[in-house]
Amino acid sequence: MRPLTPQRILWTCAGLFGVLFVVVVISLRMGAYPISVRDIVDTLYKAAAGRRDEVPVEFWQVVFGLRLPRIALGILVGASLSTAGAGFQALLRNPLADPYVLGVSSGAALGAIISLIAAPHVVGAIQIAAFIGAASTIAGVYFLGRRGGQLDSPTLLLAGIVAASFLSAIIMFLLTMVTGSELRSIAFWLMGDLTAPPPVTNVLGWLGFLFFVFIVAAGAMYTTSSDLNLILTGEQEARHLGVNVNRVKFVVYIAASVLTGLAVSVSGAIGYVGLLIPHVMRMFFGTDYRMLIPTAAIGGAIAIVLADTLARTVVAPTELPVGAMTALAGAPVFIYLMRRRMR
Amino acid sequence: MGERPITRAARIFVLISFALVACAAGHAAETRPREGGRYKGADAGLRQAAANEKRETKNVTDETGRHVAIPPNVQRIVTLAPNLTETIYALGLEDKLAGDTSYCDTPPAAKLKPHVGSPQTPSLEAIVALHPDLVLATTSINRPETADALLRLGIAVYTSDPHTVRGMLDSIARMADLVAAGEHGATLVAQLQARLDAVHARIGDLPLVHVLFVVWEDPLITVGQNTFIADALRWSGAESAIVAEQNWPQLSVEEVVRVQPEYIVLTPNHSESDAANKSSDLEKLRARPAWKALKAVETGHVVVASDEFDRPAPGLIGAIEQLARELHPEAFALSEGGKTIVGGTHAAMETLTSDAAKKECVSCAL
Repeated sequence: MRPLTPQRILWTCAGLFGVLFVVVVISLRMGAYPISVRDIVDTLYKAAAGRRDEVPVEFWQVVFGLRLPRIALGILVGASLSTAGAGFQALLRNPLADPYVLGVSSGAALGAIISLIAAPHVVGAIQIAAFIGAASTIAGVYFLGRRGGQLDSPTLLLAGIVAASFLSAIIMFLLTMVTGSELRSIAFWLMGDLTAPPPVTNVLGWLGFLFFVFIVAAGAMYTTSSDLNLILTGEQEARHLGVNVNRVKFVVYIAASVLTGLAVSVSGAIGYVGLLIPHVMRMFFGTDYRMLIPTAAIGGAIAIVLADTLARTVVAPTELPVGAMTALAGAPVFIYLMRRRMR
Repeated sequence: MGERPITRAARIFVLISFALVACAAGHAAETRPREGGRYKGADAGLRQAAANEKRETKNVTDETGRHVAIPPNVQRIVTLAPNLTETIYALGLEDKLAGDTSYCDTPPAAKLKPHVGSPQTPSLEAIVALHPDLVLATTSINRPETADALLRLGIAVYTSDPHTVRGMLDSIARMADLVAAGEHGATLVAQLQARLDAVHARIGDLPLVHVLFVVWEDPLITVGQNTFIADALRWSGAESAIVAEQNWPQLSVEEVVRVQPEYIVLTPNHSESDAANKSSDLEKLRARPAWKALKAVETGHVVVASDEFDRPAPGLIGAIEQLARELHPEAFALSEGGKTIVGGTHAAMETLTSDAAKKECVSCAL
C-alpha cells in the first residue's frame, strides 16, 4: 500500500468535496419548485451582490428559505453521524457499531417525546430536550460502561444496548399516552426528518453554531486518529507503544457522543448513514483513521444530501422521511460494494 | 487491500455518483414545466404583493395561539387537509383555492386542483410555488412543524383546532372572515346550525345510546372525549361508551365486552354501498371470537357511519343526520308532515353548493 501522506489525504478530500459540490448543485436544482442551474447561479450572484430585490420572492424563499438551509443541515447531520459511526466502530472494536448503538438516539427520542407531552407548542423545545436526553444517556452509559475505573469496550457495548432497550420501552409506554398531532410529530422524528424549522429565527447563526460544535468534536476525534490505528491492532500493543488508551477512548467517546447528540437533536434518528458510510469509505480509502475520519465526514454529507434530494423528489410533491430513504437506498448499495470487495 | 482494488473501487464510486446525478438531472429536466420562461409565476406574486401593500394586513391569533398577519384581499388559498378543502368549496370559494393535498377528494372537483403533497408531508416548496396569500391547516391531520416552517417564510398560515361540532362551525365562520367571505360563512353556518337544531328537536329528549365508535379495527382504536367525533356522536343522540383522556385511545376487546355498548359504529374503509358494507362488516365481526360475545353484534346493532363522520367539515352535519336516523329510527319515522325523511349525506353535502339542490333538500325536509 502506498504510504499515507498528508497530500494524499488532502487530494482525496478535495475530490470528495467536488462530488459533494455537484450533489449540492443538483439538490438545489431539484424539487417541487422548478429551478434551472442558470436561475440558481443568477440568484446566488444577485444575493452575493446584495441585489435581493431583483430576485423574485418565491425564488428567494425556495432557495434561501428552504433548500439551502436544508442542504446545510443535511451536510451537518450526515457528517456528524458518519464521523460518530467511525469513532464508535473503533472505540467498541465492533464493525456493527453505529452512532445509536449506545442508546444515544433512544435517549434523545425520550427527551423529544417528553417535551412534546409537556410543552407541545414551543418551537425549539424538541431540539433542546432531545439534546438533554442524549447527553444524560451518554453520561449514564459512560458510568455503567466502566470497569475498574476504565472504559471497557464489551461492558460499554452491553451498557449501551441495555440502556437503548430500556429507554425504548419507556418511549413505547409514553407513545400510548400522547394524542394525535403529537404522535405524528414524534413518528416523523423517529424516522429522521430534515423538514422541521430551526428553533431560532437566525438560521445562519444557528447553522454556524452547529458547524462550530461539529468542527470541535470531529477535530478532537481527529487528534486521536494515529492512536486509534494502534488501538485497533490491540489495546495491549497500543499500551506498549506508549498510547494513553484511556485518554483516547475518553476523547473518542465524548466526541462521538456529542456528534450523535447534535445530529439527533436537529434531525431525529436518521438510520444507516453512521453504520454504512465509514465502511464504504474503508473499502475505498483504507482503514487508516487519519484518512477515514475526514472521508467519512464528507461521505456522510454526500449520502444525506443525496438521500434527502431523493426523499423530496421521488413521490413529489409529497415528501418521504429521509431516514426511510437512507435505509432504502443504503442497504442495496452497501451489499453491492461488500460483494464486490469479497470477489 | 492492494492499490488496484482501491483505485478501481474509487472509479466505480465516482461512476455511480455521476450516474445518479445524471439520472437526477434528467428527471428534473423532464418534469420541469416549460411555460412562460424563467421565473414562472413570480410576476403574478410580485404584482399581488404590490396590490396587497395598499390595504392593511389583519393581525389574528389562530386556534393554536400562533399570531398570524393575514394579508387583505386574499386571492390565493392553499388548504392542507380534506376538511378544509371541503369547507372552501362549501363557502363557494373554489376559484380562490390555488392548491390542496392529494387526500382532498370531496367534492370530486377538488381532486383536479394542484396538489402540494399529503397533509402530513406536504412539499413546502410546492406550497411556496403556488404563492398563496393564505394557507389553511388543521391540528387534526397536519404537523405543527409545517405551519411553523411556512410562517418562517412569511406565508400566512391559519391553523384550525376544532374539538366540538360547534367549534367546527365557529372555525368555518372565522376562516370565511379571513378571506372576506364573512357573509357566506354566516349563511353556511346558520344553515348547518339549523339542520343540527332540527336533529336536536327530534332526538334531544331521548336517552343517549351507548356506542363503541370504531376508528380502526385492528388494533382497536376509538375516540376520546375531547374530539369533535365524540361531540358529533352526542349530536347524533349517542355517547361513546369508552371514557378516555387520549384523543385516539387503543382498546382491548375485553374492555368492550365488559362495557357492552348498545351499538357498534363503524367507519367505512371502502367505497361500496353502505348496505353492502354493513352486512359484510357484521359478518366479519361475527367471525371474530371476542366480538361474538358482544350483545350489539349478536343483535345486529352495527351501524356504518358516513365517511364524512371523521372530517370536521360541513359534510359532518349530514353524517350526524344519517347516524341519528340509524340510531333513533323511531324519532324519524314520522315527521310533522307524515313523510319519511330520505336522502343520504352526499345529497345533503351538495345542498351546500348548489341552489337547486338546496330547494330539493328543503322540500324533502318538509
